[in-house]
Amino acid sequence: MTTYIVGYTIIGLIIAFIIFCVLIKRQVIFAETPKMQKIFAHPLMFYSFRRLASGLISFVLAILVTFFLIRLATPPDNTCQDLFFNPKISTEVYNLKCNNWKDNMGFSGSTIQQLGKFFYAIIPVPKTLCITDIDTTLGMYTIQSCRTFIFDFGRIYKLSGTTDGSFVIDYMMPRMGVSFSIGIIAVVVEMGLGYPFGILMARYQNGIFDRIGRAYIISVDAIPGIAYYYVWMAIFCGWLGLPMRYIEGNFASWLPAILTLGFTGMAGIGLWVRRYMLDQFNSDYVKFARSKGLSERRIMWIHVLRNAIVPLIRTFPTAIISALLGTYYIENIYNIPGIGQAVMISVNSNNSSLLSGIIIVSALLSIISYILGDVCTALADPRISFTKD
Amino acid sequence: MAKRNPSVLSNEIDWEKGAMKEFTPDPNREVVLSVRNLSVGFSVRGKKTHVIRDINLDVYKGQTLAIVGESGSGKSVLTKTFTGMLEANSIIYGGSIMYHGYDLAKLITNEQWCNIRGKRIATIFQDPMTSLNPLLSIGYQISEVLILHRGMEKEEARAEAISLLGRVRIPHPEERYDDYPFQFSGGMRQRAVIAIALACNPEILICDEPTTALDVTVQSQIIQLIKDLQKEYGWTTIFITHDLGVVANIADDLAVMYGGQIIEYGTIEDVFYHPAHPYTWALLCSLPQLGTKDEPLTYIKGNPPSFSGEIIGDAFAPRSEYAMNIDFVREPPIFKISDTHWAKTWLLSPYAPKVEPPLIIQELHERMKMAADELAHQEGDNYAKSPSK
Repeated sequence: MTTYIVGYTIIGLIIAFIIFCVLIKRQVIFAETPKMQKIFAHPLMFYSFRRLASGLISFVLAILVTFFLIRLATPPDNTCQDLFFNPKISTEVYNLKCNNWKDNMGFSGSTIQQLGKFFYAIIPVPKTLCITDIDTTLGMYTIQSCRTFIFDFGRIYKLSGTTDGSFVIDYMMPRMGVSFSIGIIAVVVEMGLGYPFGILMARYQNGIFDRIGRAYIISVDAIPGIAYYYVWMAIFCGWLGLPMRYIEGNFASWLPAILTLGFTGMAGIGLWVRRYMLDQFNSDYVKFARSKGLSERRIMWIHVLRNAIVPLIRTFPTAIISALLGTYYIENIYNIPGIGQAVMISVNSNNSSLLSGIIIVSALLSIISYILGDVCTALADPRISFTKD
Repeated sequence: MAKRNPSVLSNEIDWEKGAMKEFTPDPNREVVLSVRNLSVGFSVRGKKTHVIRDINLDVYKGQTLAIVGESGSGKSVLTKTFTGMLEANSIIYGGSIMYHGYDLAKLITNEQWCNIRGKRIATIFQDPMTSLNPLLSIGYQISEVLILHRGMEKEEARAEAISLLGRVRIPHPEERYDDYPFQFSGGMRQRAVIAIALACNPEILICDEPTTALDVTVQSQIIQLIKDLQKEYGWTTIFITHDLGVVANIADDLAVMYGGQIIEYGTIEDVFYHPAHPYTWALLCSLPQLGTKDEPLTYIKGNPPSFSGEIIGDAFAPRSEYAMNIDFVREPPIFKISDTHWAKTWLLSPYAPKVEPPLIIQELHERMKMAADELAHQEGDNYAKSPSK
């Protein structure tokens, strides 16, 4: 019940907000209040709505592609056989079990029906889905359980005794939390190191720090990640004696993963910061600013850095949002129970519902981060206009 | 023409008889900036070049000095040394730039230059499209100078910046204050740049080809604006240009540069009506306005000298029809023609044969009058056609 109230309240609020903005823009209400006009009828607001609408189309396409690819890769009949085939049980029982499983997973009916069920489960409106479990060991014994969802990606099968039959969404949420708590610290570390790194390299171009920095960037770029991840592992775990396995609640055991991500990401950020800064240094308006008599410090902060960061602003939302999804290699190396590890688990165990859940969530998050990136860039750069003329 | 045999040149004759032994300023005028024996070069891939070769120049108070010359003659490099805006690989080999008792050639760090740049010597660059920071409002870029150089408060600076925008004839300045450069046309941006120069309230204003990047119709407006403001503020102006028409319009004195040297200097009347150096002749001859209908257009044959090797003798000699043997061996000294007029050519030596300058130069006075009449005629036509007036 709570889910319904919360879900519909949120949907209602969003619709009300859009109507409110449209009414203000059409000058139906608050026509005389320039402040309201400026905030709610801002071109950026309607640009965001348009982008969200087109993002929705991309999302639908992503769902379609995921659905068909996953069904092609793991046909339900094959999975059924893997799960329930047993020479000791009769064909009737096998069919019963298999059909019941298909019903529960949304794999029954025609392809169009299956697709419809898939979409219905994913669209973010509150809904109640019921599943029927059959136990044939003690005669025909069925248990029906229902649950209310906002999102549903189906149920997990074939993982282990404890997770078998649980919902994908329940499996993903805590893993996302783990990925995010490590990822967000890593983002802070990589940006905290990467920006000063790039700024210093640009400031003292061709100096000793710049040379060392460039060598570092090239080596990170050129060596495959999987190779130097183990070099970092040797340094952090072998040399510094940090724990090699993730332990919940033990921050020291998070450090190897955070630092590996931080030091690697720092190279990429440093490269672009340096590059954009140098572009600005050589620009005419920086020369003009210098000829105005501004101090180097002011030129650096107000004229160079500000302008250099504008093309990088879109990376902020992307970095933060993609932290939710974790990283494939690092989580597997340090045995972190995050989304990156779940990807490998789901692929290895042929668990299509978990995999499609992860793919769809990551598609959604990347669409959102692109829109946020564009909106942030637009906020920072006055040259971007949203009006068509 | 004499056979070119530079090896035979008697040392018994005092070739430099009558030349200026020591460079002295015009005693009737007050010197603001005094350049003595300035040599500047660049170090390009370990090779040293001489781009400014032993230049002597006096800039007088309230004067409008035009510097003309081909691309690569060192005009911009010369003025950049006045504000320490040379590229990082530049070297000042020797000489001095005396300004109020300080030798600007000895200043090294940007901190030292901050007291000179903008406040005392301001520069307007060639391309207004790139001279302004695209992400900061026009008003901000003007106020920033007012706050820095005149110690104004934010609100005070805003009011002053608006009045400056009005001064440079930007309509509705209070509305345009918060606009960004991309909302301004090229001519308006150059006006905004001029407003920044006004905000600096400098003693010397260097205009580095301020109209080259602009539309012809806007050019004359900008020139007129600079002229009017100069009258009002009493700046000393150094005007770098390719356009001899602009020179005739705005300047009091003219320095002709070739191969990193000033080869002729004088008032506009001196240089336009009694040019002495073959390069000045060639430059004036190549003005298309001065040609008559049946004459082919004259141009200067050959290329400007390369700075990578040492230049022996007169740099213009290889391209000159009037070159003598001595021109290939010895650098000409400065021969004074009048108090205000001097040239660096052996033709002024008492031993030089009398040569007749080209026909156009001999008829220069009449031809200029003709060209001016024609222009006035055309402008009259345009004036009559123009619907706005």
